Amino acid sequence: MELIGEQKKTQALFSELRLADEQTTPRFAAVWNRAQARSSRTWRPARAFNVSFAAATALLICALVSLALWSKFSPRSPQQSTMVVTGTATPAAGPVQIIKDTAVNPTPSGERRDRAGSISRAKRLAAKRHALLLAINLKAASEAKAISTWQSPTSALLKSQNDELLKSLPQLNEGAEELESFLTNTPK
Amino acid sequence: MDIAELKVELEKLHSASFGWALSCCGRDRAEAEEVLQTVYLKIFEGKARFLGEANLKTWLFAVIRNTAISEHRRSLLRRLRLTADREPTGEQASLYEAPTESFERSETQEQFRAALKSLPARQREALHLVFYEDLSLREAAEVMRVSIGSVRQHYERGKKRLRETLGQTDIAYGINWRAKENPGAV
Repeated sequence: MELIGEQKKTQALFSELRLADEQTTPRFAAVWNRAQARSSRTWRPARAFNVSFAAATALLICALVSLALWSKFSPRSPQQSTMVVTGTATPAAGPVQIIKDTAVNPTPSGERRDRAGSISRAKRLAAKRHALLLAINLKAASEAKAISTWQSPTSALLKSQNDELLKSLPQLNEGAEELESFLTNTPK
Repeated sequence: MDIAELKVELEKLHSASFGWALSCCGRDRAEAEEVLQTVYLKIFEGKARFLGEANLKTWLFAVIRNTAISEHRRSLLRRLRLTADREPTGEQASLYEAPTESFERSETQEQFRAALKSLPARQREALHLVFYEDLSLREAAEVMRVSIGSVRQHYERGKKRLRETLGQTDIAYGINWRAKENPGAV
């Protein structure tokens, strides 16, 4: 019985509390509108982030494109050009022929470049490379010739009167007399 | 349920929602309003969706409870940062006091509120949902995301503790009530 009474009293106290709260409850529309306003406020940073992200991406793309263009059209140093050496490399065997330079030959990529509007630049580069290649070829050929006709400066000192004798060999099928004549200094 | 329909339903439940938010925020009016605003924002942005699995009221109350818990954590962190930045002063305490605190209240209500505040959160929630919001224990369990047995336990213990607290304070709820209900006990 007491418990039921307590229950009722608790209920009554809570009801009183509810009534007091209802009097101070903010209007629904006000809270809802503020929530909506907050929503638009919270969306703004997201948009700002998107814009900044797009700007950063655009910058990155620009940087990449310019890097690609620069690497494509920047003049290479002679050491960098690829050369294929064919034939024997020994100087005595004959003149060295440097035949190919892959950068010089017109390639489909070169044609594309022509189409792109950089014909003169490409041609100039090709001519430059060709001239350089020719110079290298000429130099190599002259060096090879010089090596084939080279003589030692001390070779004259090695010459003597009996050079012919030393260089010639006796024939084994010759007669003993002839051999004797060959061995002139042998004691008899 | 589209947002317009939901808005109508929310408006009907607004008063009860605010009362529940108040209970979740330790009777702090400003915080309760903030929590309710955040809940509406969540619903508006689709972060909290009513899928019709449960009663709208229990779903809404569960959202309010979760939001209040997370907001409370955030405000604790904020206060910690504030206290780390500057030394606490006597004026700060008055800042946190809601304007309604200055309202003229009956002594019984004051004592009752104090007794409610002294209860553990789970017990207070169970009592509030049953007595204030007229929910069944099953619905209260849904809101609190616990089993019905657990809610019943919180509810019984809460009632007992409330009775004891109010009895100790010797207010109308205590002596007068006992005198009325059971005159022989006094």
